[in-house]
Amino acid sequence: MAEQSIKPFFLWKHLNKLRWLSLSIVFMMLIYLPYAHLYQTYEAAHAYDLLADSEKQVYDVMESLTSSFVDDPEEDLDAIKGNTWSGTFFGLQLSDPLAAVGQIFAGLTLYTPFLLTALIPVIFTLIFGRFFCGWICPATFIYELNTNFSAWLRRAGLKTGNRRFDRRVKYLVLGTGLVLSSLTGSVLVAGVYPPAIVGREIYYAIALGGFGAGSVFFVGTLLFDLLVARRGFCRYLCPGGALYSLLGRFRIFRIQRIVENCNDCAKCNAICEFGLNPLHDDFGQECNNCTACIAICPTDALTFKVKISDAPDMGPGHLGRQYLRDKEESIERAA
Amino acid sequence: MRRRRFLQKLLYGGGILISSTLPYALSRFIAPEAKADPLSHLRPPGALKDDNAFVNACIGCGLCGEVCPPKCIEFYQRDGGSNVNTPYINPEVKACILCNKCMEVCPTASLQETPLKEIDMGISQIDRLGCYPWVDRGICGACVSICPLGDRAISYNMWNQYRPVVQDGCVGCGLCVEVCPHPSLPIRIVERAQGTVTQHRI
Repeated sequence: MAEQSIKPFFLWKHLNKLRWLSLSIVFMMLIYLPYAHLYQTYEAAHAYDLLADSEKQVYDVMESLTSSFVDDPEEDLDAIKGNTWSGTFFGLQLSDPLAAVGQIFAGLTLYTPFLLTALIPVIFTLIFGRFFCGWICPATFIYELNTNFSAWLRRAGLKTGNRRFDRRVKYLVLGTGLVLSSLTGSVLVAGVYPPAIVGREIYYAIALGGFGAGSVFFVGTLLFDLLVARRGFCRYLCPGGALYSLLGRFRIFRIQRIVENCNDCAKCNAICEFGLNPLHDDFGQECNNCTACIAICPTDALTFKVKISDAPDMGPGHLGRQYLRDKEESIERAA
Repeated sequence: MRRRRFLQKLLYGGGILISSTLPYALSRFIAPEAKADPLSHLRPPGALKDDNAFVNACIGCGLCGEVCPPKCIEFYQRDGGSNVNTPYINPEVKACILCNKCMEVCPTASLQETPLKEIDMGISQIDRLGCYPWVDRGICGACVSICPLGDRAISYNMWNQYRPVVQDGCVGCGLCVEVCPHPSLPIRIVERAQGTVTQHRI
């Protein structure tokens, strides 16, 4: 009685690599853009001879990098500017939804042209859920490396934190941040939102010559992730993650388990950065479609489905030990 | 019964929310934030006139700083209070060249696109007890020769050709402050109401 096995589309397996590529491109851009700006300022000053040696190095490297693409660096390099908090991409302005919401709360006004810049991210979030957290967020790049680092530490015999808290705390952080934003009249959530901090601090460090206060906070979150809870800030505290989770609650693209292929090995639960429970079909609104669980699944039991709700718990996987034992028992009982 | 439980949860949530905002609000009441020196912290050109409105609208994305050709726009960091991550220009270090790029790029229009003549970052004020030509310590004219607006912003006093006099057309870009060779900077950018000549009281 061989059950027909449903194989998921083979490319889903490799999406995780594509995700790492996307994350590293975003991070590289955040490092490249401040240097591009420095190069532009040197170019605008028309004073190569007056530059210091280190500045001349920056100028030469950036010139060799960009001269084949742009004619007039002073103007043409303005095409891509900014960071993931808000930026322009060839005339298209994009902003984080949290920036839009934060600004609404800070000023208690609606400025439509700015809100429209958050429209494309919001639409993508409605379709793909919390994809920003897994695919774009520059802080995720560092946090996931931090997770790997803590795995090394654990292999070396040191203890790293793996506590669990209530995931709803981050909605409280979002609410508190927005209330405080409207009380003080400035977008305070930006101060506790890692992608905004990382983008800004890299710019401060490279172009303005020194890290700001946000980097201290960011190092604090790294230590929190390392010592208290794995990926703890994103799971339990991030206000932007809370907003994306709310928007992505009824996302259309979902990861789902193929119960016929599953052998209950629970690798998906171990790999899941957000502490979800793919083994028991419990993804919820927190899943960021990062596809790490699809990539690690040894029996191709996870796939993408176009649905707006998770499947109910489908029980133990059909290749699993428990399932076989149950089956044998039922056969024995029948005999 | 379900509605009652829902209301109960809502009440708990609201209570937790309010109590979690309390410490911050209290700390703000006990320790009001320190104001930055207005002479060396100008808002970028085209900024909303009301500074509170500007801070409300600005999301701190840093785009204005990232397109600025002379890299004059800096950002409030540790000393900022609720101004944190909002831009300012320190004309003593690096002054605005009125290129309009920051106004064009600002996504929230907290820097509004303004024609050159209507920009109002302040107005230059000359301390006639400090300025070299005004106290007959040589000829200078650096501020007049750097001014991007020419005659309508700053010109020489009629009777002594090297004594600078600020006119009403000055928009307060601060280039004159940047080039002023006097160590005590007798030319500063102040609010328009304070006038173009420093008043000394004895």
